[in-house]
Amino acid sequence: MRYHRWYSPWLLVIPALGLVTLFSIWPAINTGVLSFTNVRQISGGHFVGFSNFVAMFQDPQLLNALVNTLLYVVICVPLLTVLPLLLAILVQRSIPFIGLFRTVFYFPVVASAVVVAVIWQWLLDSRGLVNGLLQDLHLTQQAVPFLTGRWLLLFSAISLTVWKGLGYYMIIYLSALANVPRELHEAAAVDGAGGVRRFFAVTLPGVRATTMLVAILVMISAMRVFTELYILGGRTGGIGGNDSSIVLLIQNAASGLNARLGYASTLSVFLFAITVIPMLVLSRLNRRAEAS
Amino acid sequence: MHCRLRYLAVAACAASALLVVAGCGVGGGSDNGADTSQTVAANAPIKGSITFQTWSLKNQTFTPYFTSLVQAFETKYPGTTINWIDQPGDGYQQKVASQVTSKTLPDVINLPPNIAYPLVTSGNLLDLTKNVPTLTQDYVQSGLDSYRFPGASGEYGFPWYLGAELNFWNKAMFTKDGLNPNSVPKNLDDLFTQAKTMHDGSAGKDYLISTIPGLNNIVQAGGPLMNAGYTKFVFNNDKVAALLDKYAAAFKAGEMPPDVLTNTYQGNNALFLKQEVAWTTGQGNEVSKVAQTNPDLAPNIIPSPSFGPANLNVQGISVSAKSANLPLALAFAKYVTDNANQVAFIKLAPGFLPGTTAAANDPAYAKSDGTNAGDSAVIGYQDMQHAINYTPPVWSDQMNTDMNQQISLAISGQKSSKQALDDLVTQLNQLLTN
Repeated sequence: MRYHRWYSPWLLVIPALGLVTLFSIWPAINTGVLSFTNVRQISGGHFVGFSNFVAMFQDPQLLNALVNTLLYVVICVPLLTVLPLLLAILVQRSIPFIGLFRTVFYFPVVASAVVVAVIWQWLLDSRGLVNGLLQDLHLTQQAVPFLTGRWLLLFSAISLTVWKGLGYYMIIYLSALANVPRELHEAAAVDGAGGVRRFFAVTLPGVRATTMLVAILVMISAMRVFTELYILGGRTGGIGGNDSSIVLLIQNAASGLNARLGYASTLSVFLFAITVIPMLVLSRLNRRAEAS
Repeated sequence: MHCRLRYLAVAACAASALLVVAGCGVGGGSDNGADTSQTVAANAPIKGSITFQTWSLKNQTFTPYFTSLVQAFETKYPGTTINWIDQPGDGYQQKVASQVTSKTLPDVINLPPNIAYPLVTSGNLLDLTKNVPTLTQDYVQSGLDSYRFPGASGEYGFPWYLGAELNFWNKAMFTKDGLNPNSVPKNLDDLFTQAKTMHDGSAGKDYLISTIPGLNNIVQAGGPLMNAGYTKFVFNNDKVAALLDKYAAAFKAGEMPPDVLTNTYQGNNALFLKQEVAWTTGQGNEVSKVAQTNPDLAPNIIPSPSFGPANLNVQGISVSAKSANLPLALAFAKYVTDNANQVAFIKLAPGFLPGTTAAANDPAYAKSDGTNAGDSAVIGYQDMQHAINYTPPVWSDQMNTDMNQQISLAISGQKSSKQALDDLVTQLNQLLTN
């Protein structure tokens, strides 16, 4: 009796494939289709060709949102790729109370967004703790506009992202560091390599794949930045929408009874496109580096 | 070759399945509106069951009222069952939207005009004019006007309870900061003058103004927001720009809280309760509300009429055009909003007024008991006679966000007032057409 047929593997993957189709592929295709329509939340629309894309590129807020999003990526990717690695190397050692330090560094990851919002608003408000300290120390005469300045609000949000992300990426690096063979470090030490040399010659090549993974994860999440800007800048994205991000634009277009789902889908397709391209570039660079 | 054909067959099946599944979602929303102008026979039997939805009214004050209201109706019409549900205050628009898209819109539903409008344009609400011949005689005109929408003939809501927005002032702060509490501002010019006096008198610690201008201020300063056909926004004129300039000057001079333009702004009502701000706006029941949260402040509040025609807040009861039991739904909606039940309801919500003509003209509402709470209820009644619903039905969440953005730019001085208004009107008109 013959059990193996050409369709046997397909039978095994159909359940998983069904779920992926239902929850990932179908919504993605539907978003693509909706981006060519003028569908609203409670009224069906019709095909409008590329007019949503034309409207998107004429949207005065898109340029701001794009600049902010790209700036977020440019600053967050190096910071959140390097700092967690250094932190992981620090907390990797077995010293007394190291568990406590690891927990403290990881704490921002588990803190709820609401709590984080209250803490950071309280810190950065014009009458908040940071401004109070600066004025008490006579470093500034007037409150620093952390939550109202066009760039200061963006950098405050980036600080919040870095603070919240350090612990998460540190854990990823810790597991990667555990896989770097101790013998390599010992051999390098015998050969006279110091700490810095061992870091560049042993540790870094050992976690190269993880570094690339972290960089890609940070880049994707930075492209999708929303919570931090919403927490600190509100629904308007700071004064005059100066600190909007692309996801904030999507949220604004897709909320309310009159939500413009067609236009929001167009913005989503655009965001997808500008996220995938640099991701592919990073992947290609990594492959080349590994090959060499 | 054989193997390749198999793969092609599998790929074709998968692609077809994907397209079928994707097709289910293509188009989003629901465009299958019912016949909104259908009529219900006067002698149609009233029996069966329906769902009745209110908005944020399930609490200690109102639950007993609705429970007995439903019981009384079910007793009057044996064989009927009314399932009363209440939705929380936050996210009501989104909840209603999901009810529409999932085809679970309640048969009788409490909707303010701005939420009712998209439901009317998508064919979800019943036109009441053909089913209630006495509509215009039974309900107040301002309420009915709020449920008449551009592009749709008819009326789509029974006016239920109405409120006019008044001014409220903190007497103690007025006295402390060198202002006369017997001469509170009567217009915006007075407001800006007295805001400066309060700022100077308190060495910059107290504020009179803590809110950016709203639609009512814009209309009062510079005429209508839109053209007659509701096809274009037209308020980008010099008078409105001059109004924004006044706010910008006050903000620059420190006469408004510095965080009024930011996300940390708590709202003028919260700041008024904390006695950091001496002016807020609210309904006729504001003093009673304050008494519950800040009993020391309540006796110190001075109510006064709105600047210009008051902002009218309307709540209404609509009937779903897709109701499976229209005779019962219509009968219950009429019952909830009839004069006797509205009067009983308003007794639990002093400061608001019923939407029926018989009750709205009752002189009892024009008599104060001599307290500031009674005075504010009377001022609310007086203001109601000329109140206007300033929010156009086409107004959306996105428009509100755009307006806040541009007005903030003007007030913070990052853009000239005229430029901000021009940009705002351009954006709003794009939203109308896109």
